Amino acid sequence: MVLYAQERFPRPEFETDYTYPEYQLPTARGLAWEYTDTAVLIVVLSITTWLALKKRSRQGLLWMSLFSLAYFGFFREGCICSIGSVQNVSLALFNSTYTIPLTALLFFIIPLIYAIFYGRVFCAGVCPLGAIQELTGIWPQKLPRKVEAILATIPFIYLALAVLFSATESQFIICRYDPFVGIFRLDAPYTMIIFGALLILAGIFINRPYCRFLCPYGVLLNITSRFATKHLSITPAECINCRLCEDACPYNAIIPSDKEIAVEEPSVVRRKFVMYLVLIPVIAAAGAIALYSLSPVLSGANYDVKLAREIRLEIDEGIPAVSNAAVAFKGSGRTDDQLFADEVETIKRYRKATPWTGLFLGLSLGIGLFSLTVRRERTEYRPDQGRCFSCGRCFRYCPVKPKQP
Amino acid sequence: MFQLRKVFQILPGKTKTTLSMKPDEKDIKLLKFISQVAAGFTLIVAFTMLFSLIQLKTIDPLDNPIVASVKEQYDRDPSDAMLAEQVRAVDLMARRAYFSSRWQVETGSYLLLAGAVVFIICQRLIAGSRKTAPVKPGEKPDLPRQNRFVINGLMVTGTLLFAAALISSFAMRGILPDTLNDRRLAGGEEKERVRSRRTGSTEAFMADPTNYPFFRGQDGRGIAGGEGYPTEWDGAEGKNIKWKTMIPKMGKSSPVIWGDKIFVTGAEGKECEVYCIDKKTGEIVWTVLAYDIPGEPDIIPEMDYDAGMAVSTVATNGTEVCAVFANGNLICTDTDGRIKWSKNIGLPENIYGYSSSLIIYDDVLIVQFDSDEKISLMGFDVKSGALKWETPRQGYPSWASPVIASFNGQPHVLINSNPYVTGYDPVTGAQLWAVEAMYGDVAPSCAVNSSMVYAVTDYAKLAAIRPGEGASIVWEDNTFTPDVSSPVANEEFLFIVTGYGDVACYNAQNGDTLWTRMLNEPFYASPIIADNMVYILDRSGVMHIVRASADYQLISRSPIGERADCTPAFSDREIYIRARENLYCISESE
Repeated sequence: MVLYAQERFPRPEFETDYTYPEYQLPTARGLAWEYTDTAVLIVVLSITTWLALKKRSRQGLLWMSLFSLAYFGFFREGCICSIGSVQNVSLALFNSTYTIPLTALLFFIIPLIYAIFYGRVFCAGVCPLGAIQELTGIWPQKLPRKVEAILATIPFIYLALAVLFSATESQFIICRYDPFVGIFRLDAPYTMIIFGALLILAGIFINRPYCRFLCPYGVLLNITSRFATKHLSITPAECINCRLCEDACPYNAIIPSDKEIAVEEPSVVRRKFVMYLVLIPVIAAAGAIALYSLSPVLSGANYDVKLAREIRLEIDEGIPAVSNAAVAFKGSGRTDDQLFADEVETIKRYRKATPWTGLFLGLSLGIGLFSLTVRRERTEYRPDQGRCFSCGRCFRYCPVKPKQP
Repeated sequence: MFQLRKVFQILPGKTKTTLSMKPDEKDIKLLKFISQVAAGFTLIVAFTMLFSLIQLKTIDPLDNPIVASVKEQYDRDPSDAMLAEQVRAVDLMARRAYFSSRWQVETGSYLLLAGAVVFIICQRLIAGSRKTAPVKPGEKPDLPRQNRFVINGLMVTGTLLFAAALISSFAMRGILPDTLNDRRLAGGEEKERVRSRRTGSTEAFMADPTNYPFFRGQDGRGIAGGEGYPTEWDGAEGKNIKWKTMIPKMGKSSPVIWGDKIFVTGAEGKECEVYCIDKKTGEIVWTVLAYDIPGEPDIIPEMDYDAGMAVSTVATNGTEVCAVFANGNLICTDTDGRIKWSKNIGLPENIYGYSSSLIIYDDVLIVQFDSDEKISLMGFDVKSGALKWETPRQGYPSWASPVIASFNGQPHVLINSNPYVTGYDPVTGAQLWAVEAMYGDVAPSCAVNSSMVYAVTDYAKLAAIRPGEGASIVWEDNTFTPDVSSPVANEEFLFIVTGYGDVACYNAQNGDTLWTRMLNEPFYASPIIADNMVYILDRSGVMHIVRASADYQLISRSPIGERADCTPAFSDREIYIRARENLYCISESE
């Protein structure tokens, strides 16, 4: 382990009897807090599920968001969070030397289990990142479906890269580029604060921009919640196809009933179905090839590789290597050859991992395209289980009253 | 006035239920006004914070040109008290400016958050009050058409991403290594590294329970043999003090022991002396004068104000007793005080004065010679004084002392210096390996165990080095760095004591910090591990005895009653401490 703790500046030298204060090393997070966090997660998830599915209370969900923002956001300072835990899990899966903390594992698994049964209730009122956006989403505007669909590819790419970088011990990019953690902690590089502030400003109109167009954990929730058997419904009883909810969702996550909708010729539908089915492996292979060819470029996310490039530039081009990492390297006694050999080793790891990353991206895109060609009969307006945040905005648009027992 | 009740009715989510709960026009105006004030306030705070952040980026107290300029003036004339005062004043000013900017940013972040929250609440209330009932949309969406658009959009995006990936991978080939060649190289390097990992010495080090022949004991490792050493004494009250003897001349050299004899040195002016003291009684058995040696310089070298010329510790092998002084006088006697040979090896003049101690490997007396003019390692025949070899070293003068260790059957002399930590063959003087790891003034000597060398100095870092061919740093840390005292290690733990009064215990293998304590008094003497305890002598003369374990267990604190900077010696269940004026023998059998 390399520990780079240091004083901000050398301490002033006193000639008097001044006694320097004792070093205060940050203590590890108490085990009690880890259990508390997990317990709170389960309780809040359960209450949110009840509010979304049974109580159907948008107001209740907003109060839960407020609580989660206060507890998981400002009080626990955004750590640990389920979104970042993706990296701990992938690091643990691909590196036998890393032992994943139990809390990280639980924060990763529990929301997914809830999603399998009840949909994305985690997004509705538990995730502090979702909560801050939900509470500041004041003037919601819908994006065109095409734009929404294109931007929705970003979380897949982000997830793939996050897993790749953590599995290759390069970086935890989700934590590094978490736009809201700086706000929760009231301390972050100002570029990240500005990024977070811009997201919130944009989110006033384009609600939940991080959840929709960046969140890598959202991809997993998207996939798992498609299997949810007891998902939130727009109507508390039978849909009367009144269409009042058609524009209710700012996230384009309502699938309309296809009653009275023009449909394509069956032969055209069949042709598209076969074509896109065949395209799935083709796109997956293209993804694998693309990412494989990018592996040396992507490996630049690894600090050793980045440093090796800087040192090589100094050797070959005479461009002085002046970064902190380069200065530390020069004082470390590690030789250039060792560094370059480590660089090659890292690139080799990337070459092994990137085809799988590309395969995942290609498959996601291929299956996504294919699913658009599949026509299912729908007689009611219902949420798109993958994309619905279970936020309950649509409840009040439905004039149907719950069935009386 | 807008009622709080309404806020709770509207925020969050009840906005649609009844119109009667909506704020009226007057309330909306008020909300708008509050919202505008909050927005203005938030913007002002944001800009102030931005300004403070820019200041933080630009005002670095360490790089402040005014501080640097005044310090430079002071360095040219350190005796100028006015300048010293000025340095303090500008340094304080620069630090204050920095921390004031930090305070502004920290306070601003709370204000910013408060302003933003007020703004958002007002906006939510305004928005909630304006929402209208949903209307039935017009034409039913043409889903197949929309899907076609989405598919086309996704296909174009996918194609663009695929093309971008291929183009960028092609365009960035220039910055990549020749992986085929490098792969071969990497394979070779890796094998070499694996090999060197396997070649770590496992030769067990067993310290002698009686003889403590060099600075920090056998091989200069800081580990004492034997067991049953005292843990409690009081120099002022005489508790467990077997004897105490005043050393005639001052010195900072530590005692060394062979059999029943203790050897120390002292000096006043040019008069350098070697003393032999009876271990049982504390009587000075003989004194050898080590001055007026041919070649000795006329001038007395400038030394640290309370160091004197007798800083280097004697080395003995039971037959010869060798001592070196800050004027370059090197003398060798037998254990009865008969001079066997003496010479002056040149004036090792440097900024703090010469302080490296001697060490003997077989029949080679090893001298680390560090002056402003040259730095080298010399090997003398301990019997005759003939120079067997001299190896010039690279870098800057060091005040550390050589340590002997063996890795994979290869004996090493280990030198800690700026910038290299180096291993030499003690028989030939050939350099075996070097790792660039230190900077600044280096005084602590290396610590070793069977597989690792630990080097450290203040304001630089602690580096754990895997020795041998292709030596490299395994882990490093810069939290606790001593300026004078040397670290000590066994197979499990590494102990550091600093000039600030810190004690730190590391996992010797992976560098994890196991425990730390601030003991308030600074340390110059080096810690010694004896009988599974660490003896840590602070400058006030108090010995702190802690268990050599993964957690902090204080066994006792025992004062000697005088200030003390020399490293204690251990022999046959007794401890010998050279304090400012007296040499003490501590024994619990008394």
